[in-house]
Amino acid sequence: MTSKKIILSGSFGVGKTSLFNQFIYNRFSDKYLTTIGVKVNKKNILVDDTEIPLLLWDIAGEVAQDKVPTSYFLGASGVIYVFDLTRPMTYQNIQTDINYLKDLLPGGIIKIVGNKVDLVSDEQLENIRTSLPITIDIVTSAKTGQNVEELFLDLGKELIR
Amino acid sequence: MTRPNKHLNEKILLDELREVILREDREALTEIENTLNDPRLLSEKVNPIIEQHLEFLKSEFPDAYRTAVGRQIDARLELFKDEMIGHMYPEMGKIVRKYVTHQFQLLKERIDGTVRNTFSLKTVKRKFKATFLGIDESDLVLTGADSIKIEEIYVIQRNSGLLLGKAAREEVLDQDVVAGMLTAIKSFVEDAFRRDSEDLEMIQYGSYKIFIQNFHSYYIAVAMQGSLSASESDVLSTKLLKFAHSYLEKLENITDLKIRNISTKLYENFIKDQ
Ligand SMILES: Nc1nc2c(ncn2[C@@H]2O[C@H](COP(=O)(O)OP(=O)(O)OP(=O)(O)O)[C@@H](O)[C@H]2O)c(=O)[nH]1
Ligand SMILES: [Mg+2]
Repeated sequence: MTSKKIILSGSFGVGKTSLFNQFIYNRFSDKYLTTIGVKVNKKNILVDDTEIPLLLWDIAGEVAQDKVPTSYFLGASGVIYVFDLTRPMTYQNIQTDINYLKDLLPGGIIKIVGNKVDLVSDEQLENIRTSLPITIDIVTSAKTGQNVEELFLDLGKELIR
Repeated sequence: MTRPNKHLNEKILLDELREVILREDREALTEIENTLNDPRLLSEKVNPIIEQHLEFLKSEFPDAYRTAVGRQIDARLELFKDEMIGHMYPEMGKIVRKYVTHQFQLLKERIDGTVRNTFSLKTVKRKFKATFLGIDESDLVLTGADSIKIEEIYVIQRNSGLLLGKAAREEVLDQDVVAGMLTAIKSFVEDAFRRDSEDLEMIQYGSYKIFIQNFHSYYIAVAMQGSLSASESDVLSTKLLKFAHSYLEKLENITDLKIRNISTKLYENFIKDQ
Protein backbone atom coordinates (compact mmCIF):
# COMPACT_ATOMS: atom_id res chain seq x y z
CA MET A 1 0.00 0.00 0.00
CA THR A 2 1.29 3.49 -0.82
CA SER A 3 1.91 5.99 1.98
CA LYS A 4 -0.99 7.96 3.40
CA LYS A 5 -0.60 11.55 4.49
CA ILE A 6 -2.23 12.36 7.82
CA ILE A 7 -2.35 15.84 9.38
CA LEU A 8 -2.35 16.56 13.10
CA SER A 9 -4.16 19.83 13.59
CA GLY A 10 -5.81 21.91 16.30
CA SER A 11 -5.08 24.87 18.55
CA PHE A 12 -1.66 25.35 20.10
CA GLY A 13 -0.66 23.40 23.18
CA VAL A 14 -3.41 20.79 22.83
CA GLY A 15 -0.89 17.94 22.60
CA LYS A 16 -0.44 17.22 18.87
CA THR A 17 3.31 16.78 19.14
CA SER A 18 2.86 14.75 22.31
CA LEU A 19 0.44 12.36 20.59
CA PHE A 20 2.85 12.10 17.66
CA ASN A 21 5.78 11.33 19.98
CA GLN A 22 3.78 8.89 22.07
CA PHE A 23 2.64 7.04 18.95
CA ILE A 24 5.99 6.98 17.17
CA TYR A 25 8.50 6.73 20.02
CA ASN A 26 6.37 5.75 23.05
CA ARG A 27 7.63 8.73 24.97
CA PHE A 28 6.12 11.74 26.68
CA SER A 29 7.53 14.96 28.08
CA ASP A 30 5.90 17.51 30.36
CA LYS A 31 7.87 20.27 28.70
CA TYR A 32 6.04 22.38 26.16
CA LEU A 33 8.10 23.12 23.05
CA THR A 34 5.82 24.73 20.55
CA THR A 35 6.13 23.37 17.03
CA ILE A 36 7.45 25.75 14.43
CA GLY A 37 6.19 25.09 10.93
CA VAL A 38 5.82 21.36 10.38
CA LYS A 39 7.46 18.16 11.50
CA VAL A 40 6.97 15.10 9.33
CA ASN A 41 7.46 11.56 10.55
CA LYS A 42 6.51 8.08 9.56
CA LYS A 43 5.14 4.93 11.11
CA ASN A 44 3.69 1.81 9.58
CA ILE A 45 0.58 0.34 11.10
CA LEU A 46 -0.89 -3.08 10.56
CA VAL A 47 -4.62 -3.33 9.96
CA ASP A 48 -6.14 -6.72 9.06
CA ASP A 49 -2.88 -7.96 7.54
CA THR A 50 -2.45 -4.78 5.49
CA GLU A 51 0.56 -2.67 6.27
CA ILE A 52 -0.20 1.04 5.93
CA PRO A 53 2.69 3.51 5.94
CA LEU A 54 1.43 6.67 7.65
CA LEU A 55 3.20 9.93 6.98
CA LEU A 56 2.22 12.15 9.85
CA TRP A 57 2.42 15.91 9.51
CA ASP A 58 2.54 17.51 12.93
CA ILE A 59 1.80 21.15 12.27
CA ALA A 60 2.10 24.24 14.44
CA GLY A 61 -1.13 24.95 16.30
CA GLU A 62 -3.35 27.84 15.28
CA VAL A 63 -6.35 29.17 17.15
CA ALA A 64 -8.47 28.82 14.03
CA GLN A 65 -7.97 26.24 11.30
CA ASP A 66 -8.24 28.79 8.51
CA LYS A 67 -4.94 30.28 9.73
CA VAL A 68 -3.07 27.10 8.81
CA PRO A 69 -1.51 27.31 5.32
CA THR A 70 -3.95 25.35 3.14
CA SER A 71 -1.09 23.82 1.19
CA TYR A 72 -0.26 21.66 4.21
CA PHE A 73 -3.58 19.85 3.86
CA LEU A 74 -3.28 19.11 0.14
CA GLY A 75 -3.31 15.45 -0.74
CA ALA A 76 -4.00 14.36 2.83
CA SER A 77 -6.08 11.24 3.42
CA GLY A 78 -7.10 12.34 6.87
CA VAL A 79 -6.92 14.96 9.57
CA ILE A 80 -6.64 14.29 13.29
CA TYR A 81 -8.24 17.32 14.88
CA VAL A 82 -7.06 17.59 18.46
CA PHE A 83 -8.48 19.73 21.23
CA ASP A 84 -7.57 20.04 24.88
CA LEU A 85 -10.26 18.77 27.29
CA THR A 86 -8.95 21.13 29.97
CA ARG A 87 -9.10 24.32 27.87
CA PRO A 88 -12.56 25.36 26.58
CA MET A 89 -10.82 27.90 24.38
CA THR A 90 -9.51 25.01 22.25
CA TYR A 91 -12.96 23.60 21.46
CA GLN A 92 -15.27 26.59 21.47
CA ASN A 93 -14.98 26.96 17.67
CA ILE A 94 -14.92 23.26 16.94
CA GLN A 95 -17.94 23.32 14.62
CA THR A 96 -16.47 26.09 12.44
CA ASP A 97 -13.11 24.35 12.34
CA ILE A 98 -14.58 20.98 11.38
CA ASN A 99 -16.77 22.50 8.67
CA TYR A 100 -13.73 24.27 7.31
CA LEU A 101 -11.71 21.05 7.24
CA LYS A 102 -14.56 19.12 5.58
CA ASP A 103 -14.68 21.73 2.83
CA LEU A 104 -10.95 21.58 2.41
CA LEU A 105 -10.80 17.78 2.21
CA PRO A 106 -14.01 16.48 0.69
CA GLY A 107 -14.22 12.78 1.40
CA GLY A 108 -11.22 12.91 3.70
CA ILE A 109 -11.30 11.29 7.11
CA ILE A 110 -11.57 13.65 10.07
CA LYS A 111 -10.98 12.31 13.56
CA ILE A 112 -12.01 14.51 16.45
CA VAL A 113 -9.81 13.88 19.45
CA GLY A 114 -10.19 15.20 23.00
CA ASN A 115 -6.72 14.97 24.53
CA LYS A 116 -5.38 15.19 28.12
CA VAL A 117 -8.16 12.95 29.42
CA ASP A 118 -5.88 12.11 32.35
CA LEU A 119 -6.58 15.61 33.69
CA VAL A 120 -10.39 15.54 33.72
CA SER A 121 -12.92 13.64 35.82
CA ASP A 122 -15.60 11.43 34.28
CA GLU A 123 -18.17 14.01 35.22
CA GLN A 124 -16.29 16.84 33.56
CA LEU A 125 -15.84 14.71 30.46
CA GLU A 126 -19.58 14.01 30.37
CA ASN A 127 -20.32 17.72 30.63
CA ILE A 128 -18.01 18.50 27.74
CA ARG A 129 -19.57 15.76 25.63
CA THR A 130 -23.07 17.10 26.15
CA SER A 131 -22.06 20.70 25.60
CA LEU A 132 -20.32 20.07 22.27
CA PRO A 133 -22.23 20.42 19.01
CA ILE A 134 -20.32 17.46 17.53
CA THR A 135 -19.35 13.98 18.68
CA ILE A 136 -15.87 13.31 19.95
CA ASP A 137 -14.43 10.29 18.13
CA ILE A 138 -11.99 9.33 20.83
CA VAL A 139 -10.51 10.74 24.04
CA THR A 140 -6.79 10.24 24.55
CA SER A 141 -3.93 10.93 26.88
CA ALA A 142 -0.56 11.45 25.28
CA LYS A 143 0.80 11.28 28.81
CA THR A 144 -0.45 7.84 29.87
CA GLY A 145 -0.73 6.56 26.32
CA GLN A 146 -4.44 5.86 26.81
CA ASN A 147 -6.16 5.29 23.43
CA VAL A 148 -3.21 6.65 21.41
CA GLU A 149 -2.57 3.39 19.55
CA GLU A 150 -6.34 2.93 19.14
CA LEU A 151 -6.69 6.35 17.57
CA PHE A 152 -4.26 5.49 14.79
CA LEU A 153 -5.61 1.97 14.33
CA ASP A 154 -9.16 3.32 13.99
CA LEU A 155 -7.88 5.75 11.43
CA GLY A 156 -6.09 2.94 9.58
CA LYS A 157 -9.31 0.90 9.46
CA GLU A 158 -11.12 3.80 7.83
CA LEU A 159 -8.28 4.27 5.38
CA ILE A 160 -8.60 0.77 3.93
CA ARG A 161 -12.39 0.75 4.01
CA MET B 1 -38.28 64.24 72.98
CA THR B 2 -38.72 63.48 69.35
CA ARG B 3 -35.12 64.09 68.40
CA PRO B 4 -33.39 60.85 69.62
CA ASN B 5 -36.24 58.85 68.10
CA LYS B 6 -35.82 60.56 64.78
CA HIS B 7 -32.13 59.86 65.08
CA LEU B 8 -32.80 56.19 65.64
CA ASN B 9 -35.20 56.00 62.71
CA GLU B 10 -32.69 57.68 60.50
CA LYS B 11 -30.05 55.19 61.56
CA ILE B 12 -32.34 52.24 60.81
CA LEU B 13 -33.26 53.75 57.47
CA LEU B 14 -29.62 54.35 56.66
CA ASP B 15 -28.71 50.76 57.58
CA GLU B 16 -31.48 49.45 55.37
CA LEU B 17 -30.40 51.70 52.59
CA ARG B 18 -26.82 50.55 52.98
CA GLU B 19 -28.00 46.93 52.98
CA VAL B 20 -29.90 47.48 49.74
CA ILE B 21 -27.11 49.36 48.04
CA LEU B 22 -24.31 47.07 49.12
CA ARG B 23 -26.06 43.72 48.79
CA GLU B 24 -25.20 43.36 45.13
CA ASP B 25 -21.62 44.39 45.78
CA ARG B 26 -21.33 41.87 48.57
CA GLU B 27 -22.73 39.09 46.42
CA ALA B 28 -20.32 40.04 43.70
CA LEU B 29 -17.49 40.02 46.21
CA THR B 30 -18.41 36.54 47.46
CA GLU B 31 -18.51 35.31 43.87
CA ILE B 32 -15.11 36.80 43.17
CA GLU B 33 -13.73 35.18 46.33
CA ASN B 34 -15.17 31.84 45.29
CA THR B 35 -13.70 32.17 41.83
CA LEU B 36 -10.32 33.09 43.22
CA ASN B 37 -10.29 30.13 45.58
CA ASP B 38 -11.43 27.52 43.06
CA PRO B 39 -8.64 26.74 40.58
CA ARG B 40 -11.10 25.44 38.01
CA LEU B 41 -13.28 28.57 38.08
CA LEU B 42 -10.21 30.77 38.13
CA SER B 43 -8.67 29.11 35.11
CA GLU B 44 -11.97 29.43 33.24
CA LYS B 45 -11.75 33.18 33.75
CA VAL B 46 -8.05 33.61 33.29
CA ASN B 47 -7.39 31.23 30.40
CA PRO B 48 -9.16 33.30 27.73
CA ILE B 49 -7.18 36.35 28.81
CA ILE B 50 -3.91 34.44 28.68
CA GLU B 51 -4.82 33.03 25.29
CA GLN B 52 -5.58 36.52 24.06
CA HIS B 53 -2.28 37.82 25.37
CA LEU B 54 -0.38 34.92 23.89
CA GLU B 55 -1.96 35.65 20.53
CA PHE B 56 -1.10 39.31 20.91
CA LEU B 57 2.49 38.49 21.86
CA LYS B 58 2.81 36.07 18.97
CA SER B 59 1.88 38.78 16.50
CA GLU B 60 3.43 41.82 18.17
CA PHE B 61 6.60 40.43 19.70
CA PRO B 62 8.97 41.16 16.80
CA ASP B 63 7.97 44.83 16.61
CA ALA B 64 7.50 45.58 20.26
CA TYR B 65 10.69 44.00 21.51
CA ARG B 66 13.07 44.22 18.61
CA THR B 67 15.05 47.21 19.87
CA ALA B 68 15.11 46.10 23.48
CA VAL B 69 16.31 42.63 22.54
CA GLY B 70 18.82 44.11 20.12
CA ARG B 71 20.33 46.27 22.85
CA GLN B 72 20.55 43.31 25.23
CA ILE B 73 22.34 41.26 22.60
CA ASP B 74 24.79 44.08 21.86
CA ALA B 75 25.60 44.44 25.55
CA ARG B 76 26.11 40.72 26.05
CA LEU B 77 28.24 40.42 22.94
CA GLU B 78 30.56 43.10 24.29
CA LEU B 79 30.74 41.30 27.63
CA PHE B 80 31.50 37.83 26.28
CA LYS B 81 33.67 38.71 23.32
CA ASP B 82 36.40 36.15 24.06
CA GLU B 83 33.97 33.40 24.83
CA MET B 84 32.18 34.20 21.59
CA ILE B 85 35.34 33.91 19.57
CA GLY B 86 35.91 30.52 21.16
CA HIS B 87 32.48 29.39 20.01
CA MET B 88 32.82 31.01 16.62
CA TYR B 89 36.12 29.43 15.74
CA PRO B 90 34.84 26.01 14.65
CA GLU B 91 32.08 27.74 12.71
CA MET B 92 34.65 29.79 10.82
CA GLY B 93 35.87 26.69 8.97
CA LYS B 94 32.38 26.19 7.59
CA ILE B 95 32.08 29.82 6.60
CA VAL B 96 35.43 29.77 4.80
CA ARG B 97 34.39 26.64 2.97
CA LYS B 98 31.15 28.26 1.94
CA TYR B 99 32.98 31.39 0.81
CA VAL B 100 35.49 29.48 -1.31
CA THR B 101 32.73 27.38 -2.86
CA HIS B 102 30.88 30.55 -3.70
CA GLN B 103 33.94 32.27 -5.15
CA PHE B 104 34.68 29.21 -7.21
CA GLN B 105 31.17 29.24 -8.55
CA LEU B 106 31.50 32.90 -9.55
CA LEU B 107 34.73 32.10 -11.32
CA LYS B 108 33.11 29.19 -13.12
CA GLU B 109 30.26 31.41 -14.25
CA ARG B 110 32.74 33.91 -15.65
CA ILE B 111 34.68 31.20 -17.42
CA ASP B 112 31.45 29.75 -18.72
CA GLY B 113 30.46 33.05 -20.24
CA THR B 114 33.66 34.46 -21.73
CA VAL B 115 36.46 31.94 -21.94
CA ARG B 116 34.40 28.95 -22.98
CA ASN B 117 35.53 29.19 -26.59
CA THR B 118 39.17 29.97 -25.92
CA PHE B 119 40.13 27.36 -23.35
CA SER B 120 38.53 24.17 -22.35
CA LEU B 121 36.96 24.43 -18.94
CA LYS B 122 39.10 21.58 -17.72
CA THR B 123 42.41 23.37 -18.43
CA VAL B 124 41.30 26.47 -16.65
CA LYS B 125 40.12 24.48 -13.71
CA ARG B 126 43.45 22.68 -13.64
CA LYS B 127 45.33 25.97 -13.68
CA PHE B 128 43.21 27.33 -10.96
CA LYS B 129 43.81 24.24 -8.89
CA ALA B 130 47.57 24.43 -9.49
CA THR B 131 47.68 27.91 -8.04
CA PHE B 132 46.35 26.51 -4.86
CA LEU B 133 48.58 23.49 -4.75
CA GLY B 134 50.52 23.18 -1.56
CA ILE B 135 47.84 24.74 0.52
CA ASP B 136 46.27 21.65 2.00
CA GLU B 137 43.14 23.13 3.43
CA SER B 138 41.98 24.98 0.34
CA ASP B 139 42.85 22.11 -1.91
CA LEU B 140 40.60 19.99 0.21
CA VAL B 141 37.85 22.55 -0.09
CA LEU B 142 38.24 22.77 -3.84
CA THR B 143 38.16 19.06 -4.54
CA GLY B 144 34.69 19.09 -3.07
CA ALA B 145 33.70 22.28 -4.78
CA ASP B 146 34.71 21.90 -8.37
CA SER B 147 32.41 19.14 -9.48
CA ILE B 148 28.83 18.44 -8.68
CA LYS B 149 27.87 15.09 -7.38
CA ILE B 150 24.25 14.06 -7.10
CA GLU B 151 23.75 12.51 -3.69
CA GLU B 152 20.02 11.94 -3.74
CA ILE B 153 17.21 12.47 -6.17
CA TYR B 154 13.48 12.47 -5.50
CA VAL B 155 10.28 12.70 -7.49
CA ILE B 156 7.66 14.11 -5.16
CA GLN B 157 3.93 14.57 -5.57
CA ARG B 158 3.44 18.28 -5.51
CA ASN B 159 0.44 18.71 -3.27
CA SER B 160 0.79 15.86 -0.80
CA GLY B 161 4.56 15.64 -0.53
CA LEU B 162 4.36 11.87 -0.99
CA LEU B 163 7.25 10.14 -2.74
CA LEU B 164 6.79 8.95 -6.31
CA GLY B 165 10.36 7.79 -6.76
CA LYS B 166 13.79 8.00 -5.15
CA ALA B 167 17.40 7.09 -5.65
CA ALA B 168 20.55 7.78 -3.68
CA ARG B 169 24.29 7.19 -3.88
CA GLU B 170 24.33 5.78 -0.40
CA GLU B 171 21.50 4.22 1.51
CA VAL B 172 19.40 7.01 3.05
CA LEU B 173 16.88 6.31 5.76
CA ASP B 174 13.35 7.64 5.68
CA GLN B 175 13.40 9.25 2.30
CA ASP B 176 9.66 9.75 2.48
CA VAL B 177 10.12 11.84 5.59
CA VAL B 178 12.68 13.95 3.73
CA ALA B 179 10.23 14.32 0.85
CA GLY B 180 7.50 15.45 3.25
CA MET B 181 9.73 17.96 5.00
CA LEU B 182 10.97 19.34 1.68
CA THR B 183 7.41 19.85 0.55
CA ALA B 184 6.51 21.51 3.84
CA ILE B 185 9.48 23.89 3.54
CA LYS B 186 8.58 24.60 -0.07
CA SER B 187 4.94 25.36 0.80
CA PHE B 188 6.06 27.47 3.71
CA VAL B 189 8.42 29.58 1.61
CA GLU B 190 5.96 29.91 -1.25
CA ASP B 191 3.17 30.85 1.17
CA ALA B 192 5.30 33.24 3.19
CA PHE B 193 6.30 35.27 0.16
CA ARG B 194 2.83 34.99 -1.34
CA ARG B 195 4.23 34.16 -4.71
CA ASP B 196 1.45 31.96 -5.98
CA SER B 197 2.84 31.65 -9.46
CA GLU B 198 6.47 31.36 -8.44
CA ASP B 199 8.08 28.25 -7.08
CA LEU B 200 11.02 27.63 -4.85
CA GLU B 201 13.85 26.41 -7.07
CA MET B 202 16.86 25.99 -4.84
CA ILE B 203 17.56 25.33 -1.21
CA GLN B 204 21.12 25.80 -0.07
CA TYR B 205 22.74 24.64 3.12
CA GLY B 206 26.47 25.25 3.35
CA SER B 207 27.93 23.72 0.20
CA TYR B 208 25.01 21.31 0.02
CA LYS B 209 22.25 22.24 -2.42
CA ILE B 210 18.84 21.01 -3.34
CA PHE B 211 17.94 21.85 -6.90
CA ILE B 212 14.21 21.79 -7.56
CA GLN B 213 12.53 21.40 -10.90
CA ASN B 214 8.80 21.99 -10.79
CA PHE B 215 6.22 20.25 -12.92
CA HIS B 216 2.46 20.45 -12.86
CA SER B 217 1.58 17.68 -10.45
CA TYR B 218 4.99 16.79 -9.06
CA TYR B 219 8.49 18.15 -8.63
CA ILE B 220 11.94 16.68 -8.81
CA ALA B 221 14.43 17.48 -6.07
CA VAL B 222 18.12 16.85 -6.64
CA ALA B 223 20.37 17.00 -3.60
CA MET B 224 24.01 17.56 -4.40
CA GLN B 225 27.33 18.68 -3.11
CA GLY B 226 29.50 21.29 -4.87
CA SER B 227 28.88 24.38 -6.92
CA LEU B 228 26.57 24.53 -9.90
CA SER B 229 27.23 27.01 -12.67
CA ALA B 230 24.45 28.51 -14.76
CA SER B 231 25.25 26.26 -17.70
CA GLU B 232 25.54 23.16 -15.53
CA SER B 233 22.19 23.96 -14.05
CA ASP B 234 20.83 24.23 -17.61
CA VAL B 235 22.21 20.83 -18.48
CA LEU B 236 20.71 19.29 -15.37
CA SER B 237 17.40 20.95 -16.05
CA THR B 238 17.25 19.63 -19.61
CA LYS B 239 18.13 16.16 -18.39
CA LEU B 240 15.31 16.31 -15.85
CA LEU B 241 12.82 17.46 -18.47
CA LYS B 242 13.79 14.56 -20.73
CA PHE B 243 13.48 12.16 -17.84
CA ALA B 244 10.04 13.51 -16.95
CA HIS B 245 8.93 13.19 -20.54
CA SER B 246 10.08 9.58 -20.80
CA TYR B 247 9.07 8.18 -17.43
CA LEU B 248 6.74 10.49 -15.57
CA GLU B 249 3.70 10.69 -17.78
CA LYS B 250 0.39 9.36 -16.46
CA LEU B 251 0.98 9.69 -12.75
CA GLU B 252 -2.66 9.60 -11.63
CA ASN B 253 -2.94 6.22 -9.98
CA ILE B 254 0.15 5.70 -7.95
CA THR B 255 1.00 2.13 -7.07
CA ASP B 256 3.98 0.66 -5.31
CA LEU B 257 5.06 -0.90 -8.59
CA LYS B 258 5.07 2.47 -10.37
CA ILE B 259 7.12 3.97 -7.56
CA ARG B 260 9.64 1.13 -7.81
CA ASN B 261 9.94 1.58 -11.59
CA ILE B 262 10.51 5.31 -11.35
CA SER B 263 13.12 4.73 -8.65
CA THR B 264 15.03 2.28 -10.84
CA LYS B 265 15.02 4.74 -13.74
CA LEU B 266 16.20 7.54 -11.46
CA TYR B 267 19.09 5.41 -10.33
CA GLU B 268 20.09 4.43 -13.87
CA ASN B 269 19.88 7.99 -15.21
CA PHE B 270 21.30 10.11 -12.43
CA ILE B 271 23.25 8.11 -9.88
CA LYS B 272 24.85 5.08 -11.50
CA ASP B 273 27.52 6.55 -13.78
CA GLN B 274 28.69 9.49 -11.74
N1 LIG C 1 -1.33 15.82 31.34
C1 LIG C 1 -1.19 15.82 30.02
N2 LIG C 1 -0.42 16.76 29.43
C2 LIG C 1 -0.30 16.73 28.09
C3 LIG C 1 -0.95 15.75 27.29
N3 LIG C 1 -0.64 15.98 26.00
C4 LIG C 1 0.18 17.06 25.99
N4 LIG C 1 0.39 17.51 27.24
C5 LIG C 1 1.22 18.68 27.63
O1 LIG C 1 0.69 19.81 26.98
C6 LIG C 1 1.71 20.68 26.54
C7 LIG C 1 1.61 20.96 25.06
O2 LIG C 1 1.83 19.78 24.34
P1 LIG C 1 2.34 19.74 22.82
O3 LIG C 1 2.28 18.32 22.41
O4 LIG C 1 3.63 20.43 22.67
O5 LIG C 1 1.21 20.59 22.13
P2 LIG C 1 1.04 20.96 20.57
O6 LIG C 1 -0.38 20.76 20.24
O7 LIG C 1 2.03 20.20 19.76
O8 LIG C 1 1.38 22.51 20.57
P3 LIG C 1 1.90 23.42 19.33
O9 LIG C 1 3.04 22.73 18.69
O10 LIG C 1 2.27 24.71 19.96
O11 LIG C 1 0.73 23.58 18.41
C8 LIG C 1 3.03 20.01 26.94
O12 LIG C 1 3.47 20.57 28.14
C9 LIG C 1 2.65 18.57 27.12
O13 LIG C 1 3.47 17.94 28.08
C10 LIG C 1 -1.77 14.78 27.96
O14 LIG C 1 -2.40 13.90 27.36
N5 LIG C 1 -1.86 14.87 29.32
MG1 LIG D 1 3.51 20.82 18.50
